[in-house]
Amino acid sequence: MDETYDVIVMGTGLKECILSGMLSVTGKKVLHVDRNTYYGGESASLTPLDQVFQHFGRPPVGDKYGRGRDWNVDLIPKFLMANGQLVKLLIHTGVTRYLEFKSVDGSYVYKGGKIYKVPADEKEALQSSLMGIFEKRRFKNFLQFVQDYEVDDPKTWKGVDPTMISKQLYEKFGLDANTQDFTGHALALFRNDKYMLEPCVELIKRCRLYSESLARYGKSPYLYPLYGLGELPQGFARLSAIYGGTYMLDKPVDKIVMQDGHVVGVSDGKDTAKCSIVVCDPSYAPDRRKKVGQVVRAICILNHPIDNIRGAQSVQIIIPQNQVNRNDDIYVCMVSSTHNVCPQNYYLAIVATTVETNNPEAELQPGLELLGTIEEKFVSVVDLFEPEDDGKDSKIFITKSYDATSHFETTCDDVLKTYERITGAPFDFSKVKHTEVDSVGE
Amino acid sequence: MATGIPGYKVILHGDYGVGKSSIFRRFLNNTFTTATGRHSTIGLDHCTRVFKVGTQSVKLTLWDTGGVQRMSYLGSSYYRGAHAALLVYSLSNKDTFGVLSQFILDIVMNAEGAKIFLCGNMADAVNPEQESGQVTEADLEQFMSQCDDVFSGVYQVSCKDNNGLEEMFTDMARVLHRDSVSRLTLRRDLVRPGDTETANSEKSSCC
Repeated sequence: MDETYDVIVMGTGLKECILSGMLSVTGKKVLHVDRNTYYGGESASLTPLDQVFQHFGRPPVGDKYGRGRDWNVDLIPKFLMANGQLVKLLIHTGVTRYLEFKSVDGSYVYKGGKIYKVPADEKEALQSSLMGIFEKRRFKNFLQFVQDYEVDDPKTWKGVDPTMISKQLYEKFGLDANTQDFTGHALALFRNDKYMLEPCVELIKRCRLYSESLARYGKSPYLYPLYGLGELPQGFARLSAIYGGTYMLDKPVDKIVMQDGHVVGVSDGKDTAKCSIVVCDPSYAPDRRKKVGQVVRAICILNHPIDNIRGAQSVQIIIPQNQVNRNDDIYVCMVSSTHNVCPQNYYLAIVATTVETNNPEAELQPGLELLGTIEEKFVSVVDLFEPEDDGKDSKIFITKSYDATSHFETTCDDVLKTYERITGAPFDFSKVKHTEVDSVGE
Repeated sequence: MATGIPGYKVILHGDYGVGKSSIFRRFLNNTFTTATGRHSTIGLDHCTRVFKVGTQSVKLTLWDTGGVQRMSYLGSSYYRGAHAALLVYSLSNKDTFGVLSQFILDIVMNAEGAKIFLCGNMADAVNPEQESGQVTEADLEQFMSQCDDVFSGVYQVSCKDNNGLEEMFTDMARVLHRDSVSRLTLRRDLVRPGDTETANSEKSSCC
């Protein structure tokens, strides 16, 4: 370990693995370490099932729920938007070749105690029982407007300046509170209502992302990898290794070595590896992070699918905050054996939200109620951290914790911003040469 | 897949320094290098070639570990969907032979149903005069009798002399294809983002 590197990355969570891959690809000599024996850190998928029980301090159950090693249980539930940033990163870096995806069967929204399929295009909007007949027409007009809107082309604006706030945009189309609710939370996937007073260009962009993602593979805008989300960090770690990155797992790195206010190496108590830049998740830099909130998640094992989703084998259900008198939405994700994350006839549901009270588990109740009978439930409350500074002086670049959002857009934002903080320039996708090498000898 | 040629994923496995990347390079473009640097494979860790099994064309995609130095760091995703593993040891280094059972366990645990092919590399470096440290025929026979039908094929090759490699690849294609003809399952609902753009280049062989 006592060598000299350009960059030492600590933690093999998805963000760190993407960054490690990007840095290796651009010619940096990277050492990537993790204190665990497995890849993924917080974004790992645990297998076999007993590892999940162990993780939550419970006695093992062996093969009580089918074969233990058929389980791959995500600690953090998220789906990929089919046209989102993570998919673009996967394609541009070629990492998509290491993974297989299936689309998620359905996208639902909660209203008045019941769940409804999210109407995502004009045709579905007209068929949905979510709205009355006149509201449908107004919503259809809104969707049409969003489809045609180009920020760079004022001719498409139809009197809507990009700086107009979202609330005003809704009013312009006469959308009622219910429609605003599912548009903002189930289509645009805002976590709370702060966006209402912010420029509507973001709302338009997010609605577009939803419908473009939906157009890609049909049933829902979401994709999910076979064998769980833990495959994603491994794919990017592989990219990093191919471009010369060195990997060391099971390495208890506990000390960042500083000199004159900036980092010079990383130590495991015995050896010190030298470097001029450190990239890590907040757990590796406890005195350089600040707590910004908490997320509560309940991982649930079911032996039946969720009711009222027409037999779908994988779904996302969003409970908009207004529906249950909260500030933040509650997310329910369900996956199953079709994505190779559990044995047949079992289902894995995760309910998650941002903590608002002193009794976080109770906050999940509206989501848990949708699940019906639950065989096993693992509840965790985790702190969300952000770096205290931007790392430009210390050369220690810390990523943010994974938030409660149900997809990877904020994850990718953080990765791309961190990359820019490290190198001073945005990532140049043309640096990845795999497409040329791939066609060798044709 | 649209071409209708059946394809099989084969992963390279084995101890550090037994010549996995050398086998990969022979498969890729029939070259050999004594340099230990990874530059020659940078950016490329898998390659597809077409073999003839009788009149049928069969695609073999060989995956290298991509420079992950120690096998314990490979991670489960390397094994996903593998139809076979080519387990490599060095004929001139008995230590790499002694650890095979652990690798077999890894393969069985992570790549369910994958066939295992055993390959002794560096046949050129075997010195008949030398007493110990090498893998003898008796060692191999004893190991095989313990393993009882674990292997779908056993080969000895030399990447340096280019000896036995093409025969090995062709034989693996034959065994894999013969075995799967009856139980080939199509998974049409799989999605690979970006596939529409690259589908054409992936269909053709590398060499």
